[in-house]
Amino acid sequence: MTTSLTPVLQVSDYSLAYRAPRGKIPVINNIDLTIARGEILGLVGESGSGKSSMASAIMRHLPGNAEENAGSIRLGTTDLRAQNERAMSDIRGRRMSMVFQDPATSLNPTLRLGEQLAEVLIRHQGMTTAQAWREGEARLAQVGLKTPAEMMRRLPHEVSGGEKQRVVIATAFACNPELIIFDEPTTALDVITARQILDLFAELQAQTGVASLYISHDLALLSQTANRVAVLQKGTVVEQEETVRLFRAPNHSYTKALIAAAPDPDKRLVQPLEESGTPLVSVQDLSVKFGRKSWVDSLLRRDFQPVVGNQAITLDLQPGEVLGIVGESGSGKSTLAKAMTGLNRFDGLIEFDGKPVRGLSDMDRGYRRDVQIIFQHPDASLNPRQRISEILGRPVRLYGGSGNPRERIKSMLERVRLPAHYIDRFPHELSGGEKQRIAIARAFLSNPRLVICDEITSALDVSVQASVIDLLMELHRDTGAAYVFITHDINLVRQIAHRIAVMYRGDLVEISDAERITDPDRADYTRALLAAVTPPAFTHSL
Amino acid sequence: MTDFLGRLLRTPQGFLGCLIVGLIFVAVLGGHWLTPFGPEDMQALARYKAPSAEHWLGTDQYGRDILSRLLDGARSTVVMAVAATVIGTLGGAILGTGSAYLGGRADEFIMRTVDAVMAIPSLLLALLVVSLLGSNSANALLAIAIAFMPSMARISRSVALTVRKQEYVSAAIARGEGSGYIVLREMLPNVIAPIVVEMTIRVSFAVMLFATLSFLGLGAQPPATDWGLMVSEARQYLHRSYWILLWPSAAIALTAIGFNLLGDGLRDALNPRT
Repeated sequence: MTTSLTPVLQVSDYSLAYRAPRGKIPVINNIDLTIARGEILGLVGESGSGKSSMASAIMRHLPGNAEENAGSIRLGTTDLRAQNERAMSDIRGRRMSMVFQDPATSLNPTLRLGEQLAEVLIRHQGMTTAQAWREGEARLAQVGLKTPAEMMRRLPHEVSGGEKQRVVIATAFACNPELIIFDEPTTALDVITARQILDLFAELQAQTGVASLYISHDLALLSQTANRVAVLQKGTVVEQEETVRLFRAPNHSYTKALIAAAPDPDKRLVQPLEESGTPLVSVQDLSVKFGRKSWVDSLLRRDFQPVVGNQAITLDLQPGEVLGIVGESGSGKSTLAKAMTGLNRFDGLIEFDGKPVRGLSDMDRGYRRDVQIIFQHPDASLNPRQRISEILGRPVRLYGGSGNPRERIKSMLERVRLPAHYIDRFPHELSGGEKQRIAIARAFLSNPRLVICDEITSALDVSVQASVIDLLMELHRDTGAAYVFITHDINLVRQIAHRIAVMYRGDLVEISDAERITDPDRADYTRALLAAVTPPAFTHSL
Repeated sequence: MTDFLGRLLRTPQGFLGCLIVGLIFVAVLGGHWLTPFGPEDMQALARYKAPSAEHWLGTDQYGRDILSRLLDGARSTVVMAVAATVIGTLGGAILGTGSAYLGGRADEFIMRTVDAVMAIPSLLLALLVVSLLGSNSANALLAIAIAFMPSMARISRSVALTVRKQEYVSAAIARGEGSGYIVLREMLPNVIAPIVVEMTIRVSFAVMLFATLSFLGLGAQPPATDWGLMVSEARQYLHRSYWILLWPSAAIALTAIGFNLLGDGLRDALNPRT
């Protein structure tokens, strides 16, 4: 690694606040950052810590209500804060560029990939269109796309998420910039694709020696990619250290908490299951198909191909068992959950406690009471116009039970470790983690025997996630309810599940004991999935 | 709530709209006590009087004080318009939200029916209803409510479709709630913001539709003080004393403008980001 004297990026004593109707909200407080040539600085922090605002400040693309202090941001010897909008548009894309989180939204859906890549070259390198297209093809080949010429002519919706992100990366590297900002570039991708993108990033980084600012909420990921890591808490850098040293001996209590909160598959949080003969749920040949044959189709005798969500899934669940379901997005995990809770039509048979359920009409009040679902986004699963008392009052009213409803809600709130006076609040007065606790309380008010958790921690920050999982496991011990735990976080599911089901494109690949998921005789897809997982920061050798 | 009112009053449209609608409501509520003369008191010696200190807006062909008639007529005209709009809007909103909730073939059926009704101009539809049911104020109200329903159903359906996909609706279905509860308690409150805006703007249409029906003799009947009827009666005296026609027309226009401005202000205040 070559380190010249002037750093590529130098941010010193920089603060940023946003003006809001209720006064100024400080976002970044007196930050100092330097990135040398060829260095990767990881910027880690939870949501709302000011990571993305920092990226916007460096790109000089701040919203109108931003207020900055006198601190400086320098790219090489250029003072970025002194540049006007015209000069900045020359610098952006040529001397520094950015890779965004979601390639589906950072590419224009109406322009061909080639046009979007060539535009950067035409704009900044003064190439002609023909030159830019040739150069663009070379760049696409460089980011590991097999058929660059064909790829250039495609529209964004014609390629996969991973390919899109490769094009975005190619665009970012197109003009050999001095600095590239990566804003969570793998968060929106599947585990296996994310791993490939990370490998590509490491390779390009080594080839070009560009300085990188890598923003992420995932410490484990940064422990493998970054040379140095800055930990951001509520707009303040609480610790900035060489990666190896930071993970070996974190100084600040916040860093320690972040490292400790990451799930560790070797630390099992669930008691071994007591064997019982009869399964609680047994799903047999369950298929879900979307779409319906329209009368035009039948009139014209056209063939109708429904979209398959689930293909003949068969699995069973013991009372009190935690079954983890993993798989990439679109593999049918949530579709299965929705079929089991009566939100999707399905073919096949669900046998619950010996009673057969063949369709939505077989799901009586008893089944609804016994099978509860918790959703991914607490913001979306709680009605914003209802108070907590009404949200939690519905299950009490629907399924009955003894005791004063209000008292029952209050004691449930205490069970999920929320203060009882929250009962009269609206959801927007609660934080994300608190909202998810309300959603958990709603599911447990009916004393269910099966709770389906659909990615319930993926919208939460690491530290909040750990406390929500803690609560879930406590409720599991107390109530003995069985869980179906759907997630893409394989480290987490290995911690809490008895058995893990792996799904791929609507099929159930296999089910294995959680302890034996790493066995070499697992299915190919399972092994590929596990190989792509970033091990938690503190277990792998540094 | 105070926050919301502050945002509403800060925009010029919102402020003006609130002012005009406020004045109209003063006339509606207190018009009775404010009138200098009885609305139906005829003064044989004071026919066709131009505006003066005694009769601020002049008198009509029977010597009735126009200001008094306007203040009195505000109650029937505005209350009827608001009532018709509220009924039409709520009916349309429930229809649209229910249609979005049901989805599939039921949704197709409801929305295609709504499309068919929408193809008929609202005045024509109102005329049809009134001529079928007989011409009086209550039927005119019903006619306008029915004429408003289809377009409100369309608007609320489009909003309700996004609400339908929210997980709190899925949660309600999964817990086995009835359709009525889901539509009325889970979905409707989240659909209501754009509907309130649309409703405010529609009050002005309703005022004008009512005036049109009364003008055509299909709404209120003489000697009612309905503004539309006043315009209709004044038509023949236009050349002799134009103010008999002018003031009720101005009152209709002002009400329409007031509610329109209020609707614009509400739209800005309810969606602070746009």
